Amino acid sequence: MTSAAGLISGSRPGLLGDVRNNPLALSLTRRGFLGQMTSGLTGVALSRLLVRELTAATARPPHFAPKAKQVLQIFCPGAASHLDLWDHKPMLEKFDGTPLPGAEAEVTFQGKNGNLMKSPWPFAPAGRSGKMISTLLPHIAGHVDDMAFIHSMTSRTNTHGPGCIAMNTCFPREGFPSAGAWLSYALGSQNENLPTYIAIQDLRGEPPNGKANWANGFLPAQHQGVSLAAQQPLRNLARPASIGAEEDRATRDYLERLNAEHAAAHPGSDELRARMASYELAARMQLAAPEVCDLGREPAHVHALYGTGDRNGLKAAYARNCLLARRLLEKGVRYVSLYCASRASSVDGLLNWDAHKTLKADYERHAPIFDQPTAALLADLKQRGLLQDTLVLWCTEFGRMPTHQDGTAGRDHNPDAFTTWMMGAGVRGGVSHGATDDFGRRSVQDVTTVYDFYATVLHLLGLDHEKLTYYHNGADRRLTDVHGHVLRSILT
Amino acid sequence: MNRIRLPLRCLPLLAVTTAWAADPAGIAFFEQKIRPVLAEQCYECHSASAKKLKANLLLDSKAGWEKGGDSGEPALVPGKPDLSLLIRSIQHLDDDLLMPPKKPKLPDAVIADFVTWVKMGAPDPRETGVVVATRGDKTWWSLQPLAAGGIERTVDEFIVEKLVEKGLTLSPPADPRTLIRRMTYDVIGLPPSPEEVAAFTAAYSRDADAATRDLADRLLASPHYGERWGRHWLDVTRFGESVGFERNVIIDDLWPFRDYVIKSINDEKPFDQFIAEHLAGDVIGPGNPAVEVASAFLVAGPYDDVKNQDVAAGAAIRAATLDDMITATGGAFLGLTFNCARCHHHKFDPIPTEDYYRLRAAFEGVTHGRRVIASQEERAAFKTATEAPNRERTRLVAEIDALNRDISLRAKTELAKRPPQRPKIDPQATEERFAPVAARFVKFVVHKHTGNPRAQRPGGGRLVEFEVWTAGEKSRNVALSRNGGRAEGARSAVADDFLEAYGPQFTIDGKFGEQWFIGSPAELTITLAQTETIDRITFSNAKGRDIEEGTARGETPCDYEVRVSADGAAWHTVATSADREPWTPAHGIERLRAEIITPEEAARLAALERELAQVQRTLNAIPKLRQVWAGIYTPAPEPTFVHQGGDPMKPTNPVVPASLNVLDRVTAPYALSADATDGERRLALARWITAAANPLTPRVLANRVWQYHFGTGIVDTPSDFGFLGGRPTHPELLDHLAARLVRHGWRLKPLHREILLSRTYRQGTALRADAALVDRDARLLWRFPPRRLGAEELRDTMLEVAGKLDRRMGGPGFRLYKFTQNNVSTYFPLDRHGPETYRRAIYHQNARASIVDVLTDFDLPDIAFAAPRRANTTTPLQALTLLNHSFTLDLAEALAARLDGDVNRQIARAYALAFQREPSAAEQAAAAALIASHGVKAFCRALLNANELIYLE
Repeated sequence: MTSAAGLISGSRPGLLGDVRNNPLALSLTRRGFLGQMTSGLTGVALSRLLVRELTAATARPPHFAPKAKQVLQIFCPGAASHLDLWDHKPMLEKFDGTPLPGAEAEVTFQGKNGNLMKSPWPFAPAGRSGKMISTLLPHIAGHVDDMAFIHSMTSRTNTHGPGCIAMNTCFPREGFPSAGAWLSYALGSQNENLPTYIAIQDLRGEPPNGKANWANGFLPAQHQGVSLAAQQPLRNLARPASIGAEEDRATRDYLERLNAEHAAAHPGSDELRARMASYELAARMQLAAPEVCDLGREPAHVHALYGTGDRNGLKAAYARNCLLARRLLEKGVRYVSLYCASRASSVDGLLNWDAHKTLKADYERHAPIFDQPTAALLADLKQRGLLQDTLVLWCTEFGRMPTHQDGTAGRDHNPDAFTTWMMGAGVRGGVSHGATDDFGRRSVQDVTTVYDFYATVLHLLGLDHEKLTYYHNGADRRLTDVHGHVLRSILT
Repeated sequence: MNRIRLPLRCLPLLAVTTAWAADPAGIAFFEQKIRPVLAEQCYECHSASAKKLKANLLLDSKAGWEKGGDSGEPALVPGKPDLSLLIRSIQHLDDDLLMPPKKPKLPDAVIADFVTWVKMGAPDPRETGVVVATRGDKTWWSLQPLAAGGIERTVDEFIVEKLVEKGLTLSPPADPRTLIRRMTYDVIGLPPSPEEVAAFTAAYSRDADAATRDLADRLLASPHYGERWGRHWLDVTRFGESVGFERNVIIDDLWPFRDYVIKSINDEKPFDQFIAEHLAGDVIGPGNPAVEVASAFLVAGPYDDVKNQDVAAGAAIRAATLDDMITATGGAFLGLTFNCARCHHHKFDPIPTEDYYRLRAAFEGVTHGRRVIASQEERAAFKTATEAPNRERTRLVAEIDALNRDISLRAKTELAKRPPQRPKIDPQATEERFAPVAARFVKFVVHKHTGNPRAQRPGGGRLVEFEVWTAGEKSRNVALSRNGGRAEGARSAVADDFLEAYGPQFTIDGKFGEQWFIGSPAELTITLAQTETIDRITFSNAKGRDIEEGTARGETPCDYEVRVSADGAAWHTVATSADREPWTPAHGIERLRAEIITPEEAARLAALERELAQVQRTLNAIPKLRQVWAGIYTPAPEPTFVHQGGDPMKPTNPVVPASLNVLDRVTAPYALSADATDGERRLALARWITAAANPLTPRVLANRVWQYHFGTGIVDTPSDFGFLGGRPTHPELLDHLAARLVRHGWRLKPLHREILLSRTYRQGTALRADAALVDRDARLLWRFPPRRLGAEELRDTMLEVAGKLDRRMGGPGFRLYKFTQNNVSTYFPLDRHGPETYRRAIYHQNARASIVDVLTDFDLPDIAFAAPRRANTTTPLQALTLLNHSFTLDLAEALAARLDGDVNRQIARAYALAFQREPSAAEQAAAAALIASHGVKAFCRALLNANELIYLE
C-alpha cells in the first residue's frame, strides 16, 4: 500500500471518514478513480468487489506469518478466583486461619480483611504435566496439557466494570476498542456472510459494564462486536412477520433498481454502490446466520457432550452458547467472546463469580455451569482440528484475596494477582508462566499485564502490537497503549 | 510496516543552510574544547541519535541550539553567555535547570571554555546537520496570534486562491433543489417541504442571490437551527445522560443543559460568554437558572461511582474523574490534548505536565451530583408555600410521637412481666415444631423482620431456605423442589434479564446460596407434591452449616405465623413467634402495642395520621424546586500536586490554579493562591480561555463551524490543533474566520451567513475527474462534498417524510430502550418505537454504553469521549435495521396513509416528500408496478431505504 500512502498525504477525511485510518475508504476512493478513469468495471462486478471490501476482507497482510487466524475468548466475569480454580498454594492450606504475614486487617475494595482462608476444594494433579488444578473443575482438568497458564497477571483497577473493560480493551475506562474490534480492523472477515466479531452473552445478562466490553470505541462501527446468543438471535435479522417473502423480495428488487438508477446519475460515487452492496450482504446474512445458529443440526451425542439438556437451566443455556461458539468458529467468525456469568447484582456472587461473602455456595453454583460445557467445547475444537487455527483465551478481570473478607466466608477483590490461560494455535501446552507469592496475594515472578497478554495475542495473529495503530483525538492509539511484551515462553 | 500507517508524521527535513563566515581559529577552539564535551556530556539526551530526546533540544547541530528546545528560545545567544540558557544551566545558576543532570557540575575550566566560546560568537561548523521536527514547540502554528490581515477578504477569495494554485476552479452552482435541500439539512437538520422547494425554485429563477439570502435568513431564524447546531455542540462536550462505568445509572435531570445549549445557540449568545458559563455558570449567574445550569458541562461526562474502600484505588478514581473534565475542557475549547500530559510532558506539544495539573487545580472542587437550581423568586415562593404546611407537619409528628412514646412505655412495662418461653429466632436456622398434621399446603406469613420494627412496611427481609419435614421416622423435607414442592411468593427485587433472580424458588432448592427477597404480601406458600403428615418447619437466612463465619445477608423474618391447609382454602395456624424472645426489645414492644393501646388512643392516632396524610398531600402538591445534574461545588479539598508518572499516590511539586504555560507567549498569565475558592479558580480559567489574546479558542470554534458546513474542517482534527493533529488546508482563511467571529461579538450566525452565501458553498457536487486527480477528497473545495445523513438527521427525516415528526421542543427526553437497574444498569433496545418517541432525535436520552436501533447503527457516538467528528460507516446491520425494524414499517404505513389520490398522484407526492423532486416516467412505472402487486406500503418501505433519501449533495 505504499503507493496508496502517496495519495493520502495532506488529506485524510473522505466521504467515508478518516481515510488515513480507513483502508476501505482508501481503496474505495482509489478504485473510484480507476473506475472513473478506465471504467472497466460494470456495476455488478464493482458491487461484488465492494461487498468484499465492506466486510473488511481488504487483504491487509499481517506483519508476519500468523499462527492463529481466529480467537475464542471465554470470559468469566466477577473476578473468578485464581486461588480456588487454577493457582495451587500449599502454604495457604498450611496457614489457613492465621493472619497474612505483614498485611493484617488490610483494607481492600469492600473493606477490612480477616485471616488466610484456604480453598474449600482440594487441588489435584491433572494430565501428563501433573498440573495442580482445583477439583471443582474435573472436566476442564482434562485439558491442562494443552493450556498455557499465566499465573502472574495484574490489573490496574480493583473494580469490576473498569476491570472487565481493561481485560478487553487494555484501558480501565470506556471509549476504547476491544481486542475483537482491533482484530476486525486489522484482519477483517473470513466469512462475509456473518459478522466478524460476535459477543455471546450469558443467559443471566450482560457482564459488568455491558456493551462497552465489545465496543468498537473510536474504531468505525463495523468493527463492533455483534451481540448474539443461543437465547438471543441477531437483532433485526428476520424479515418482519407482517411481510411475506414475495413482498419482501419485490420491495428489495425495486429498491435495488431505485438505487441503481440513482447511482448511475452520480458517476464515481463508490459510497452509493457500497450502500447497495451492504443490502446484498444483509440478504446473505439473513440466510447464513439462522443456519449457523440452528443447533438442531447437531447430533444428539454432541448435545450430550456439551450438556445442553442439563436440568440446571443455566448450565444448559451456557452449554448451548458453547455449541454456538464452535459453530461460529467453524464458519470463520474472526473473534468470538463467550461469557459465563454476568454482572454484579444486588447480591454479591449471585449472577457472577464475585464471591465476597459465601465463596463455597457461590462457586458450587457457578463452577458446574462452567466446567462441563467449556471442557466439551475445547474437546470438540480439538477433535475437529479447529485448534490449529483458533487461539483460545480464558479471561477474568482480576483475582481474589487469599484472606477472607472480614466477617464473611468470601474473598475480596485482588488486582495484584490473577490467572488467565491460553491454548490452541501457536500456544505451548502444559506450561505455566509467572507465579504469585506463597499465598497468592501478589504476582511476584514474571509479573504480567493485560498489555503483555494482548501483545502475545496479536503476535499469534501475525501482528506487531506496536505497529497496529489508529489515530484518535491527538494520539496514535494502540491496543496495548504504550506497553506490552510478547510472552515468548508460552509460544510453540 | 506501511499497512496501516506511519506511527508518527515527520515534518519535511529542514535543511540548515546558514553559512557562517569562515573562522578557522574559532572552529579549532570549538573542535578542541567544545565538541568533545557536548558529545560526551550532552548527546545522550540532546542529539538525533538520543534514545529519548529530552526537552526537544538538539545539541548535535548548530541549527539545534539555534532553534532551542521546549523553552522556545535559542539555547545559546552568540556573544552573550549570560543570556544563554545552555551556559546558565551548566553554571547551575537556576535551581530548576542543572546540567548535566544527576551528575557533578562540570569543571570550572570547562565552563570557562563554553563562556569563551559563546563570547567568540559560538562558531560552530556543524552546518550539515538537519533538524527533524518530531514534535511541536511554542512556534507551532496554532499557538500564534491570529493573523491580522485578510479580515476584509471573502471566503471565496481564499478558496479560489488555493484552487488556482493547483490549476483548479470552483464547480458550477448547484441547482436550486439541491441547494435548498443541502442548506435546510445543514442549518436545521431536516428536509425542506415540497412547498418550500417549489417556492425557492421560483424565487431562485427570478434572483438567485436574493433567494439564497432569504433562504439562509429564514433557516437561521428557525428554532430548529438551535436543535441542529446544539446537537453538534453536545458531541463536542461529550454530553451523555448516564454515568457510565460499571453502574451506568441513568441521569434524568441533565436535559436542562441540553435545552440550555439549544436556547443559547438560538439566541445567539456570544460564544465567549457561552464557554465561560460552561466552566463557571454557577459563579457568573448565581440565582439565574438559565446561566447556572451551564456548568453541568463539567459533570456531563462519565465517572465511576462504585464505592471503593481501597485508598489508592479511590485516589485513582478521583484522578480519572478530574481527567475527564480536563480532557473535555482542553479538547472542546482549546483543541489541545492536555490529557497526554498527565504522566509526563506532552510528547508532541509544548505542554508541560504542570499545565495538566494547573487545569486539575481549577476543577479540584467539582464533584458529580445534582443540586437545586432555582431563582431567588422561586426559592422564596417555595419557602412561602411550604412554610405553613411544614409547621403543621412538625406539630402533628410531635403529637404522634408523644402518643406513641406513651404507648411504648406501657408496652415496655408489660413486656418485662412476660418472660419469653422460647429463645429468639436464629438467622442461621430456626425450627418450629407442632403436632403432626396432614397438609398439602404450608404458608409462612411474615409480620416483622430483624430490621427496625417501627420503620417496616410490608415485605422486606430475605430467606435462603425453608424446609417442611414429615412426622415420624425417616423424616423428609417435602418442600424441596426435587421432592415435588413448589414455592410461591412476591419478590421485592427483579432483574429483567434474569427472571429467576430473587425468587421464592430459591427457598426450596436445597442450596444455601441464593436468597428469596421477600416482597409484599410477605407470604411464602409451599405446595407439596401430595398431602403429607408434617410436624415441623425450619427456615434460614444464612449459610450457617459448613462455614463458621457464615452470617445472614440482609434482614431475617422474626415475627411470623406458620399456617397449614389440606385444600388451599381452609387454613389454620400451627406455630407463631409470639412466645419467642423478641429480636430486640423494640420488636417486643411492637408485638404488644396492639394489646396495650386504648380505643381512645387508637382513634386519636388514626385521626392524627389522617391529618398528617392530608398535610403531606398538600406538601406534595407544591412543585419541588428543580434539581439538575449540574455538579456540586465545594472548596478545593487539598492542594494540587504534580503526580509522578500520573500516579496519584506519588505527589511531587505543588501547582497553583494558574494560566497554562503552553500559551504564555500570547496570553496574559494569571496565578491564584493555593487557597483560592473553587469559584475563583474556574472563573479565572474561563476568562483566560476566552481572553481576546487567546488565538486558539476562536480558531478552534471557527474550524468547527466550517467542518459542520462542509463535512471536514480546515483542520481535519477539530479537537486537536497540536502536532499530531492535521495542518490547516487554508491557514489564512481559518484566521479570517476566527477574526470575523471575534469581530461579530463571538456570534455564529454572521459567520454562517458568510459561508452559506459563498460561491464555495453554493457550488455543485459533480465529480470532475481532472480535479479529483489533483485533490481527491476535495479538501480544496473544487466541489461541494456530498455526504450521508447523520443518525439524527436520518431518523428525523423518516419521521418528517411520514408526517409523524413531533416538533415540540425541550423538556425531558424520550427513550428508545428499556432502562432497568439491579445494582448496575441494563439498557434493552426497544422493538417498538411508539408515537411518544416521534420527537427529534436530539431529545433522545442518550445513555452511555446503550445500543438503540437506527441511531447507533448510523454512528451516533457512544459518548465515553467527545466526538468532535462522527464516524461514517456503511454496514449490513444498517440495512437490516432499516429494512426490518418496526420503526420503518410503522413509518412506511404512516407515509402510505398520507398519500392521496390515484396511484400516479401517490407516487408523485411520495417522491416530493422523500426526494423533493418529481419522478421520471420510468420511475413512475416501476413504482406503479410494485404498488400494483404489493401495495403502497411496500413502495414506502423501499423509499425509506433509498440511497437518494440518505445521501445529500
